[in-house]
Amino acid sequence: MTGDLRIERLSKAFPVRQGWGRRSWHSVFRDISFSVYAGEFVTVIGPSGCGKSTLLCIAAGLESATGGTVSVDGRAVSGPGLDRGVVFQEFALFPWLSVRDNIMFGLRSMALPREERQARADKYVDLVGLARFADYYPSKLSGGMRQRVGIARALAIEPAVLLMDEPFGALDALTRENMQSALSDIWQGTRKTVLFITHDIGEAVFLSERVLVLNGQPSQIVLEVRIDLPRPRSRHDPQFQAIVQELENAIRGRASVGFQQQANNEEVTS
Amino acid sequence: MPGPQSAAVQTPAHTSVSDGQSSGVGSWLRGAGTALAPIAVILALWEGVALYGGLPPSLFPPLETIFGALMRMAADGNLAADLLGTFRRLFQSVIIGAIAGTLFGTLMGYFRLWERAFVAPLNFLLAIPGTALFPLSMIWFGLTEAAIITILIYEVALTVTVTTWTGVKTIDLSLIRAARVFGANGISILWRVLIPAALPSIISGYRIAFSRAWRILIIAEMLVSVTAGLGYRLYYAREFFHFDLVYAGLFVVGISGLLIERVLLRSLEIATVNRWGTVRELG
Repeated sequence: MTGDLRIERLSKAFPVRQGWGRRSWHSVFRDISFSVYAGEFVTVIGPSGCGKSTLLCIAAGLESATGGTVSVDGRAVSGPGLDRGVVFQEFALFPWLSVRDNIMFGLRSMALPREERQARADKYVDLVGLARFADYYPSKLSGGMRQRVGIARALAIEPAVLLMDEPFGALDALTRENMQSALSDIWQGTRKTVLFITHDIGEAVFLSERVLVLNGQPSQIVLEVRIDLPRPRSRHDPQFQAIVQELENAIRGRASVGFQQQANNEEVTS
Repeated sequence: MPGPQSAAVQTPAHTSVSDGQSSGVGSWLRGAGTALAPIAVILALWEGVALYGGLPPSLFPPLETIFGALMRMAADGNLAADLLGTFRRLFQSVIIGAIAGTLFGTLMGYFRLWERAFVAPLNFLLAIPGTALFPLSMIWFGLTEAAIITILIYEVALTVTVTTWTGVKTIDLSLIRAARVFGANGISILWRVLIPAALPSIISGYRIAFSRAWRILIIAEMLVSVTAGLGYRLYYAREFFHFDLVYAGLFVVGISGLLIERVLLRSLEIATVNRWGTVRELG
């Protein structure tokens, strides 16, 4: 139950008020196209403000694009749906539900019989190693544990595609490394199609089969790197380091997007 | 630079901020004592003024006189009838008002159309105090119970609508997003996500609504002829110059309000937001 994600000529622009009632458009990214094939782990990295989180939001159906399409298994995406599981940077767990009930939340929206829901909840709470904490409330869990619940919740609906928005960004360095290894193992076991967003280059190289660098003003895919290193990957491996360096150059090669925004506003004919 | 710091952390012998579970009975007694001490002081002061203050005993009766009046009220069945009457009116109106207010406030807090449509009428009505509408409701319903209950429902519904509306609006955006991506679209998002997420604000609104309704109710019972009720008892006692009954009645009014808060609302809080950890437990 895994599908492919196709991004075709995706564009996103925000209107910017410029005083005197004039409005111009700030183009975040324009005509982005790429695919994540079934079972692939692809990461998009880029500097702050390059629109990588916006890209994921559009794929998740939480925002709409100003141009282009996103399709999952050939079906165009127009809003949120249970064919795409999302893991959020802030975890976004429901505090009034236990770990198990959080994982089952998406399942309740599907027409599944009770035993099936329970079975899936048990399976995925086990998969992320939190079986002992199934009846705990999120307020009693550490950051790493909460994100594990977030991952289980997204996996439990057995989506075609898994979308992860800087899922380890809110965790401390040590926990982050543990979670990266855990995610790598989980992915190898489930072989989900994953679109992963991060600003951490090492994380991207550790986890992915392909890394796309988003950069520029407006953002474009400036580099695509295929990573064939065997797993588990070692961050000290010279090949690993070389790839990190290559990606870093691509990110630093252009000026940081954020500070150029005001100067480079574009008029987009609507 | 001095040598390596000692690994052991010095724990103070006595902490004023509670750092965990202290021994059960001891801490419970301490807690009860802290709660009762101010009351004991006030009662002692009252006795002092009543017995030695030189004021006429009818105006400032000592505690035993008040207590005697209380016993009389209980003995001739008036107390039970009054409590029943007042509470029945209270709960009828609060339940209807709270349900209406919660629903309305949640819709306003989530759907922009609802908010735009109703924010002006809401603020208009909020500016009109419930008590100011008494003459109107008495014209419509006469001097009957319906006149009181209408005003109460109005007050409760308005209060709960406003607090729920703001509560829902301040729900973290990431929770709304999570709700939507995991299938809680359409109307089901109301009870699956919006209300549970805004519960601390909603309960706070219930608390305010209860208090407002209670105050209006007691006064209303004085103005409108009801056969039994705490407000009515106060009015009746004053009419016949039974001041000890007035004090006893006020005491019952205060205690009733306290019990509603401690028993009803506090239990609701403990069962929900405290259990979930969304509201900080003091100490």
